[in-house]
Amino acid sequence: MNTIPLTHFLMLAAVLFAIGLYGVLVRKNVVIVLMGIEIMMNSANLNFIAFSKFYSASRVTGQIFTLFGITIAAAEVAVGLALVIAIFRQAKTVEVQEIDTLKG
Amino acid sequence: MLFFYLLATLTVLGALGATLMKNLIHCALCLILFFLGIATFYILLGAEFIAAVQILIYVGAVATLVLFAIMLTQNVVGETTLKGLGQNRWWALGLTAAVIGILGSAIHHQRFSAASYAGRLTTQEIGQALVVVYALPFEVVSLLLTGAMIGAIVIAMEDRKKKQ
Repeated sequence: MNTIPLTHFLMLAAVLFAIGLYGVLVRKNVVIVLMGIEIMMNSANLNFIAFSKFYSASRVTGQIFTLFGITIAAAEVAVGLALVIAIFRQAKTVEVQEIDTLKG
Repeated sequence: MLFFYLLATLTVLGALGATLMKNLIHCALCLILFFLGIATFYILLGAEFIAAVQILIYVGAVATLVLFAIMLTQNVVGETTLKGLGQNRWWALGLTAAVIGILGSAIHHQRFSAASYAGRLTTQEIGQALVVVYALPFEVVSLLLTGAMIGAIVIAMEDRKKKQ
């Protein structure tokens, strides 16, 4: 179990972050864009935990930071989905390209 | 090691499914698979408490919220959910490849002087750190969460005055 090197976890987190970024850039549905942001946040949290395992000095700090990250992600997703529902009620759409009322 | 690669493949597949699938409900279910995969990595890294929190918050609350948001808005099965994906697909793919390349080379060239720490961090230690060293950030983040929840309710609430 301890033979897995730190770089493996970091590479996995990098790949997951890139997948989340691709989802944010490409998808049209706002809910899926929010899901992409969640994937990116999770991969960052995975990095925190990996470093807390491999560096004894940051043992507690890494896990506490992940806890804060999870809290902030929960707040973000709640507000984001509430906004999606409010926008859908106003504009009857959840497509990113069609929500352009503020465009001059 | 084999177990790690198996889990990594499953997690990456979950993330890919969440971003690329046509049916939005399937996207949300793949997202749950991804969250569970991350939780198993937390257990692998000796952070059992964080893994439990991950399952409770993400699989329990966030995934449910996402499913409700999908059901409350249109185009659940929609053929149109992937339409228009092509127009910026290529530069998005290039940017994604660039991010993987930059992060990968940075990780590859960095020499980590790290040895796996054997001892486990108990939940008691996390709790003590939370109320002693990180007491102020803890309060601030509690306030933030409360404010965000009230704000979410206010934003999502129907305007009753307008209806009457």
